[in-house]
Amino acid sequence: MTETGKTFNIMFAGVGGQGLMLLSAILGKAAVDTGLRVMTGEQHGLSQRQGSIYVHFRIGDPISPLIPYGRADMMIAMEASEALRYIEYLKEDGVVIMSNRIMPSVTETERVVLDKQKKTKYLTVEQIVERLKQVTKNVVLLDSLALAIQAGNERTENSVLIGATAACKDFPIPAEEVRKAVLALVPPKTVDANSKAFDLGRDAGGACLES
Amino acid sequence: MTVEDVKRVDKGSALMLANEAVVRGALEADVKVVAFYPGSPTSEILDTFGEVLDHFKDYKMQIAANEKVALETVAGASMAGQRSFTSMKSVGMNVASDSMYSIAYTGLNAGCVCLIADDPYAHSSQSEQDGRYFGMTAYVPMIEPCTAQEALDMTKWAFEISEKHKTLVIIRTTTRVNHQRGMVNLEKLERTPFKKNKWKDVKGQYFTVGSVARAHKAKLLEKSAAIQSDFEKTNFNFIVPGDGNVGILTAGVNFLHAKEAMQNLEIKLPIFKLGTLFPLPEKKISEYLKSLSTLIVIEELTPYLETQIAAIAKSVNPSLNIIGKKSGHFSEMLEYNVSIVEKVLAEVLDKKPSIDYDAVLSKAEGLKDILPERPPIFCPGCPHRGTLWSFRQALQQLRIRDDIVFNNDIGCYSMAFLPPNEFSDSMLAMGASLGISAGMEMSLDDKVIAMVGDSTLYHAALPGIVNLIHHNSNVTLFVLDNSVTAMTGQQFNPNSPFDAGGQPARKINMEKLFEALGADSITIIDPYETRDCIGPIKEAIEADGFNVIISRRECALYGDRLKKQAGEKIIPSENVKDTCRGIYACVKEFYCPAITIDEADGKMIIQQDLCDGCLECRQVCPVDAPQHMEVGK
Repeated sequence: MTETGKTFNIMFAGVGGQGLMLLSAILGKAAVDTGLRVMTGEQHGLSQRQGSIYVHFRIGDPISPLIPYGRADMMIAMEASEALRYIEYLKEDGVVIMSNRIMPSVTETERVVLDKQKKTKYLTVEQIVERLKQVTKNVVLLDSLALAIQAGNERTENSVLIGATAACKDFPIPAEEVRKAVLALVPPKTVDANSKAFDLGRDAGGACLES
Repeated sequence: MTVEDVKRVDKGSALMLANEAVVRGALEADVKVVAFYPGSPTSEILDTFGEVLDHFKDYKMQIAANEKVALETVAGASMAGQRSFTSMKSVGMNVASDSMYSIAYTGLNAGCVCLIADDPYAHSSQSEQDGRYFGMTAYVPMIEPCTAQEALDMTKWAFEISEKHKTLVIIRTTTRVNHQRGMVNLEKLERTPFKKNKWKDVKGQYFTVGSVARAHKAKLLEKSAAIQSDFEKTNFNFIVPGDGNVGILTAGVNFLHAKEAMQNLEIKLPIFKLGTLFPLPEKKISEYLKSLSTLIVIEELTPYLETQIAAIAKSVNPSLNIIGKKSGHFSEMLEYNVSIVEKVLAEVLDKKPSIDYDAVLSKAEGLKDILPERPPIFCPGCPHRGTLWSFRQALQQLRIRDDIVFNNDIGCYSMAFLPPNEFSDSMLAMGASLGISAGMEMSLDDKVIAMVGDSTLYHAALPGIVNLIHHNSNVTLFVLDNSVTAMTGQQFNPNSPFDAGGQPARKINMEKLFEALGADSITIIDPYETRDCIGPIKEAIEADGFNVIISRRECALYGDRLKKQAGEKIIPSENVKDTCRGIYACVKEFYCPAITIDEADGKMIIQQDLCDGCLECRQVCPVDAPQHMEVGK
């Protein structure tokens, strides 16, 4: 449990259509079922897919719906470049749980094809991680798609990331509560795969943070 | 899960989006008639009411053609003795305000509440309009919540004020309240069955002009004074005690930013938190001001509160030092957050912010210099992408790209102003493209083209269309018929055979409508047959008179949902690498986010999990490289 006046802040980042709102709903349920207070500042609005989206997710004793710059204890990024896009929110040595998936924007693809010299390359995960490391040493980079496929369903990437989140030792919600919330909110047919994905994510996250 | 909480009968607590809490509040107040036109950041109010409609079956709901009709609908219901509710985005009230000002004069009967949501930062709006002046200028009481809990409580309270004073009540929010999720205490839900009234049992007279209007005005001023006296006493205007003679006055989400900023700075200034924006509790404010030497007014957008507070201070505490926008500490632009508020508080109190926010931001900016931008874009499978591509081809083939003026309208297609289309000589407000076209058509020696979606067509474009046809104008109109109000979440509109909650409705036939109005030609194209669209578009542009092109294909997100419901699979496409010659038309001219490039061989790759299988890209490709994957592969 977090002590009174103490708030655990998580910045979710991703691309529209990746299921960020479900991720937020799962952690919201887990926190509430644990008896913790939750407040979020969400980005809804234009419903197009493929835009940059975020959720400010605050557990404990939050006052404002928005995390102040430099005060996020954790960032969960479902797409790698989106982790860097919201880096101003992460506190020094905060934890980044991120997928290695990059979804290039069309304008970046256009720059790559327009370069006849072929010198313009897509931004790489290595470049992103190198930048993130200038703020924190705690970067958990997950091949979330591979782990999801290993769990038996390529659409369980969210559960992989949530599993890794639950492995973080400062995370205020017990891992089993998080798992229960995951399994309560995913489609019934995918419960087994999501449970496996959660475990794979938790193992991968745990290993990463210990090293 | 939150919709389940909206439906819950028992008392308890729940985690709710403020928009959902508003719905719960209205249901706890036994609302009987609701009507809306969707608009961010309020659309989830409409969506939630729609989702639980069939569960409760004890209130009536319509998705109205526009916000004015929605407000009139709920006003009519109130006159007929039914508690009623509507909500709309900031600019929606501009449309509704014509009736709103008259409703203020005539007054109403049963509780009638309208929520308007301002959008500081213009996240999803065409301006950072400050809607707070509507209350003051119409003499309509206006209240503002700051949390999901207050959103629920104030919605219920609004019905009480409305019914007691027989007036419309406006709840004003900002995006950061609507889209805030927080813990909410629910009261026991007690609903009564819906029952129609007889006019003779509830009737009043709702009429205003001339001498009647003047009589109404005199009563309205008395009513405002009575409401003000109630607002002096309400607990929604409260003071959080603190130390010293520097105090804060604020409302809405800035109350939360200010409290957190004070916690970070380890200070405890007194705060006056306003829950009523009009009328202001002037006596209570006066008492508060008397105790201070410095007042920090924290409000986004215009200095609405600051100017009124300065006027009050002039008589009760003329030496009060007011920190706000006029003093240069706060901006009239954009939205605030904890760090913006904390920096001002720190400066006034001669302290340091808890974190060097400027250093954090500038470091982040440096780290992000490698980050490509991610501009808003049409979804994979979006029919607009094909329509706009064909339109560009038509202009190119006619060699008239520089001899047209393109008046765009409000919808997903507003994004036509971005590359690769870069259309949009104007884009102002719902339906405005037609009126603007009338003026340009008289004034310019160019072809005038306007574009509206189906929802915008019925919302506010019809008078402009009637006007153009009546005046024999030479204008080509594109109607992008994607079946739903796409941008706000694919709600139904008069172009749908459904109403809120899937109730059956009558679909308006737009071809017959244009025919009856006397359009010179009506051509229907399918943007998925992308190449075939070019010819008809050329003809419609070249022809004299008022020519209509209806580009018909459902919104991809809506289409995906229909497929899912029908158990159909989305079959993604793949690029045939042997055929792909690296021409990149699909990239440079099409901008589909499912298309990337394999850096190893320079060939295109279609991201299978993003592709919607529309195959518009195949028609854009000169060598037809993309094709559907084999089913089951």
